[in-house]
Amino acid sequence: MTESQPKPQTVADDKKVHGVVAEFTDVDSLLAACRRVRDAGYTKADAFTPFPVHGIDTALGIKPTILPWIALAAGLSGTTIALLMQISLNGQTDLFEGIQYPYIISGKPFISLPAFIPVTFELTILLASFGTFFGMWALNGLPRFSNPMFTSPRFDRVTDDTFFLFLDAKDSRFDEAGAKALLGELGGEYVEPVLEDDSSKVIPKGLLIALATVICLSSIPALAVLRMRVTKSSSPRFHIFPDMDFSPSKDAQQTTTLFADGRAMRPDVPGTVRRGEMDWDLNFKTGIDMDKLASIDPPRAAQLVAMQSDVAVDGEDEVVSEAGADEPAEEQDGEAAEASEPTAETSAAPVTADNTPWLSENPLELSEEALARGQQQFNIYCSVCHGMNGRGNGLVNRRAQKILATTWTPPSNMHDPTLYSDVYPDGKLFSTITNGVRKMPGYASQIKAKDRWAIVAYVRALQVSQNASLEDVPESERTKIEREQAEVQAQLKAAAEAEAAKAAEAASAE
Amino acid sequence: MSHKAVAIKPADDPAFQLPASLAGLSLPMIIGGIVALVGGAFFSNSAIGGRFGMSSYLVAYMYCLTLAIGSLFFVLIQHLTRAGWSVVVRRVAELMMIMVIPLALLFIPIAVSAYTGSLYAWSVEGYQADHGIPDAIWKEKSLWLNPNWFVFRSLIYLTVWCGIAAWYYRGSQRQDETGEITITEKLQARSGPAVIAFAFCTSFAAFDWVMSLAPMWFSTMFGVYIFTGSILSAHCAICLFSFLLQRAGAMRDEVTVEHYHDLGKLIFGFICFWGYISFSQYMLIWYANIPEETHWFYTRSTDGWFNVSVLLMVLHWGLPFAGTMSRHVRRRPWLITSWAAYILVLHLIDLYWIIMPEAGVGLGGATGIIATLVCVIGMVALMLGLMLKLAAGTRVVAVRDPRLGESLAFENF
Repeated sequence: MTESQPKPQTVADDKKVHGVVAEFTDVDSLLAACRRVRDAGYTKADAFTPFPVHGIDTALGIKPTILPWIALAAGLSGTTIALLMQISLNGQTDLFEGIQYPYIISGKPFISLPAFIPVTFELTILLASFGTFFGMWALNGLPRFSNPMFTSPRFDRVTDDTFFLFLDAKDSRFDEAGAKALLGELGGEYVEPVLEDDSSKVIPKGLLIALATVICLSSIPALAVLRMRVTKSSSPRFHIFPDMDFSPSKDAQQTTTLFADGRAMRPDVPGTVRRGEMDWDLNFKTGIDMDKLASIDPPRAAQLVAMQSDVAVDGEDEVVSEAGADEPAEEQDGEAAEASEPTAETSAAPVTADNTPWLSENPLELSEEALARGQQQFNIYCSVCHGMNGRGNGLVNRRAQKILATTWTPPSNMHDPTLYSDVYPDGKLFSTITNGVRKMPGYASQIKAKDRWAIVAYVRALQVSQNASLEDVPESERTKIEREQAEVQAQLKAAAEAEAAKAAEAASAE
Repeated sequence: MSHKAVAIKPADDPAFQLPASLAGLSLPMIIGGIVALVGGAFFSNSAIGGRFGMSSYLVAYMYCLTLAIGSLFFVLIQHLTRAGWSVVVRRVAELMMIMVIPLALLFIPIAVSAYTGSLYAWSVEGYQADHGIPDAIWKEKSLWLNPNWFVFRSLIYLTVWCGIAAWYYRGSQRQDETGEITITEKLQARSGPAVIAFAFCTSFAAFDWVMSLAPMWFSTMFGVYIFTGSILSAHCAICLFSFLLQRAGAMRDEVTVEHYHDLGKLIFGFICFWGYISFSQYMLIWYANIPEETHWFYTRSTDGWFNVSVLLMVLHWGLPFAGTMSRHVRRRPWLITSWAAYILVLHLIDLYWIIMPEAGVGLGGATGIIATLVCVIGMVALMLGLMLKLAAGTRVVAVRDPRLGESLAFENF
């Protein structure tokens, strides 16, 4: 075995010394030397070994790393980011104003921690690993392409069988002769200076070209995507995930073989209560005092109950699929006939005199908020026909008049005395909005019951507003209104005078 | 990774003997344990009634059993991975694992209860009618959950555990005398199949003995859930017992801060594993929200149990997770041992939370809790007494294990 001994390191005049290195043949002498170097006050010393050596950190006086704290901080950031991200994506755009875009998923609360934990966990781990990995880079001053130690000709054997102890020239105690003497004294062999790496810092051209090529090539997919977004193609779309593009799930109006009735869209399970509708009873949903109705007109009450209750709706579905739609109605008619023979026909015929026990009072708790909601809903849904002021002259009506539409029934004027609450109770108004009247369609499917009641309240307010006297206004507001009134009158007067003056001027000019 | 050879003491060194101060505790513990166990079970049964008495017994039984089979798994996995570091603490685990043999005898009351209907709801006459369970479903359930088949399966689990434990215990004991390396090789070679058999038995025992307390409920993760508690508490017990043995004077030079550090790492890891498994089980059921699955958690989120659930989340995971995270904690034997003792208490609360709600008496009140505690203390004392008696006749370290030197010189980075 012939191993060529490398030449000892020599220092030319123009070379800078990076430090001094010495070789040791075994762990124990290295550790002893490390301790001595530490005790001599050197802080910028390092040991290089072919394998990890226990206790070398303390021997060299290396302080415990702060890496765990970096990892902890990064991990906690992951936790925080994940939670905030999920909370905001679940509709909470403003922490202080609550859910801005309530989007119900699986009937869970908007902010439900159990569902957030997997993502939170993953992001915590991810950021903690990044923190550890890149924190280690930062603490070690990586990436670094060359270390001056490699200039030492004997240093290669550090991965093989030799231990090295290195004293850095940056240490405040360092002077070359003293360091050499110390290392020699400690039993180090081949005590040699390490030269600063003065090789060119310019990145080789070949490497730069290769890097540029890789960057260019890696932009091809992105460019291809960009191009495809602005060009047309006659070939069908390319499906990367066909099972996601063609999901086996059903759309609302499709059919399915899974259920006997063939409907893909399933009716609510019996007893389902919609979110926020827990305390809406039947009176609230129909505008009718159901107890009274049951005593006056039991069949109609039963029918209403059937229409509103999910249980019966479900039952009705089954009947429809098995026996036809008319049966339940006929049955009810039959029962009514049995109960009172002479009026058997009248129950089927339209009721002429309205004896329905309408709710005379709005069940909604009236507040400024409720009225504002009513106004908003009225302006969205009602004003197009009835007009913003409720006089029945909305845009649709005006257009119908303009084109002389023959089948048009003009919308009611809300200020007609027949629509006042003494003759047209709140419940009836509610029912009209719900089910429609004449040409007006029912709005039950578009406007929630609570909002319909808010509209009723707003219509009442509208009615009052158009025939109001100053006495209707609260005391505190009166002076304000009187002042405004005076201002408006003054303005009107001024405008009239100005016009008169103008006319006079024009007349005199002629 | 060691570079320092440590001299191994001769096999008859007093450091390997059970200290006399501990050996003397053996008999009082056995007698006291039996008295407390019987008294506690009887008290629990008469004071609360219903299925509470036997449930208390089951809590005590599962507490000791999870420690024993957790130790069994510990021993198996050391052989499977040919671990060197753990040799000095392995004998402690072996002494714990061999307790499955007396525990097999203590299973008799549970086996009897399957016939008398004093523990499992499914064995109570009229359970199907009371809960309106359709015939077709109950017929299939009964195919699995009927007393004869239940007891037969239980016998299989106990036989497998006892067989594996006895074989590994005997091997290790024989090596103490002869020092044959072939014994270690044989133990290692069989550890793979043994772990597989262990996994099946543990999973099915968890399903049969604990999950079937709520007969209509099912969770495929339940076996793993019981296993996590088992392996976590076993590591804690190994840590605690090693510490106590050292305090009493045995193996003072053998078990070093490095071994506590490693045990601490594993305890920390299994704390996370427990949190991970118990949360996964909860989240899957919570998300799917299917009535027949949710009722188990519904029971545990009402009637006072909710507080226990939250407490477990915070005290069984959050607090010890933060507490044992630091290397400085793990490298202080008394600190990590305190955490180990703490986890052993929490493991009991965990089992109480798993088993007791199904007894149908709520939290059980102070009387119920005390009665159960007496039961648990009784059975633990009985097991400790037997362990000490066994340990007095042997050594507390596997003195001729070929990897003992490696274990003695073991160092963490």
